[in-house]
Amino acid sequence: MAAAVSIQGLTKKYLDVWNKAEIVAVDHLNLEVEEGEIFGFLGRNGAGKTTTIKMLLGLIFPTEGTATVLGRPLGDIEAKAEVSYLPEEAYFYETMSGWDILDFYARLFRIGEPERSKRVQKVLEDVYLDPKAWRRPLRGYSKGMRQRIGIAQALINDPKLLFLDEPTSGLDPIARAELRDVIHNVGKQGKTVFLSSHQLSDVELLCDRISIIHGGRLLALGKISELTAGEKVEIQAEGITNGTVDKIKSLKLEVLQTDGHIRIPAAEANQVSSVIDLVRGAKGTVTAVIPHRRTLEDVFVETVRKAGGDVSAADVKGGEN
Amino acid sequence: MVTMAIAKQTLEDMLRRKILLILLIVAVGMIALGPSVGFLSPRESSVVLKSLGLAVILIAGLLITILAGIQVIPTEIERRTIYTVLSKPVQRYEFILGKFLGGLATVFVMIAAMGVVFLGVVAWQDAHHAVSREMVTGVAMTFFQMMLLGAMAIFFSTFATPVVNFFLTFAIFMVGNMSSVTESLTSNKNPATKLLATVLHYILPNFGNFNIQNKLIHPEQTLSNPTVFIFQNIVYAIIYSAILLLLAILVFDRREV
Repeated sequence: MAAAVSIQGLTKKYLDVWNKAEIVAVDHLNLEVEEGEIFGFLGRNGAGKTTTIKMLLGLIFPTEGTATVLGRPLGDIEAKAEVSYLPEEAYFYETMSGWDILDFYARLFRIGEPERSKRVQKVLEDVYLDPKAWRRPLRGYSKGMRQRIGIAQALINDPKLLFLDEPTSGLDPIARAELRDVIHNVGKQGKTVFLSSHQLSDVELLCDRISIIHGGRLLALGKISELTAGEKVEIQAEGITNGTVDKIKSLKLEVLQTDGHIRIPAAEANQVSSVIDLVRGAKGTVTAVIPHRRTLEDVFVETVRKAGGDVSAADVKGGEN
Repeated sequence: MVTMAIAKQTLEDMLRRKILLILLIVAVGMIALGPSVGFLSPRESSVVLKSLGLAVILIAGLLITILAGIQVIPTEIERRTIYTVLSKPVQRYEFILGKFLGGLATVFVMIAAMGVVFLGVVAWQDAHHAVSREMVTGVAMTFFQMMLLGAMAIFFSTFATPVVNFFLTFAIFMVGNMSSVTESLTSNKNPATKLLATVLHYILPNFGNFNIQNKLIHPEQTLSNPTVFIFQNIVYAIIYSAILLLLAILVFDRREV
């Protein structure tokens, strides 16, 4: 399958105000996004996600490296005709109505009438915007309605490739679920979606493959099923001595003790029998063995921490549905 | 199509800006009140009316042009609306031209509105003060002067902040209106003064040539060939504006947004 986005050694460096210290926003990034996939682009705040997207769209220019979008060089006008972009916290012209904004963006794609009006109506319906709001100025829209306009403007040209930067950020659960449906439908139409998001639960539901970047560098890349492979097993036991606990800890396992009960939250599958043998050998009782599938959040947190980054709640939004 | 779409959007956006509408309303109000302040001056009331009207149009046009020109691109960047525009198949020169034409259309609408009121007041005041060609030309020359000033504001907005742009554009307008002063200083004995005056005189636009109020106020002053003079000034404004827009495009083409 051809690459919708191909990035080779893409680097963006900024100089501070004194032109001395160098800030590396994106550091020799290599990445390929295949046509027709929904690709998750994950990273903490300031990891270089938006900078990468802006370089791919020709809004800013790389310091080093090259990339192609739909097989064309960065900033190519013909590629832009088949690409769309929803910026993070996108702002639109407040005094214009939703319809007029989409009509304006359609004109930028050189779409003439009567096709333009048909497209505007279709995308407004596709993003489930209430028809009563179509002709109202945007300043009266809620955040969810504005985000629908954002998605609608990203669909107005029937693009082959969509760059969506935090599309579900700040939305209520219903609006998030609806926008997730929209993105899912876009993917089903064979379009490529480059999805930058903190909402790991959304990414897990929508994406085929993901990448994790930190400090502008690529840390992980692959299918979600591959990255989350390898179940962890939680073991609970009671009636064992401190000596046995030390023996379990010597297997490099975390052990939590409360009132004679112990809990080992994350044992590897091949360690389970060793732990059970130790508990039984100490005349203790194994009370529970619970397999846990690794989540994308686990992978994200582990990957970023291994690279030396602290992960806060703002960086990961895993389960708020 | 793209340039005109951006121009149309810019015009509609500008016409909804409260500050510009307030300026227009105040200016129209002052022009409309012109006949009632004629007694304040010992001059003939018609001269006061024409002088006041053209001065109000010039000052309001100046403020509208500068406020529109310095904001038109920074606002797009600040509101991040520029991301959704430049990520579409829009060349950067189309964006600059669209913004300029939209701003220019705004200034045209506002000057035209003030001009219509001005000419209407003059015609209403006295049949003897019927609207003359010079008055229409005076309003039109204000527009071309503002076109040049707007191009300058757009050029500065590609690299300067709105505050810096405001003072730069305003200062250049003031110096450009004093071309007779800078011209006289080109023969100054001090070499530094001479050099500075020469540079200012020949590089900065000559805004003074667009002011033809004097001819209206002092009908005894005549131009040998007014049609050629006016035509030359219009061509000058168009060429100078084109050069400034070309420079703006060159700067903006490499600007990161």
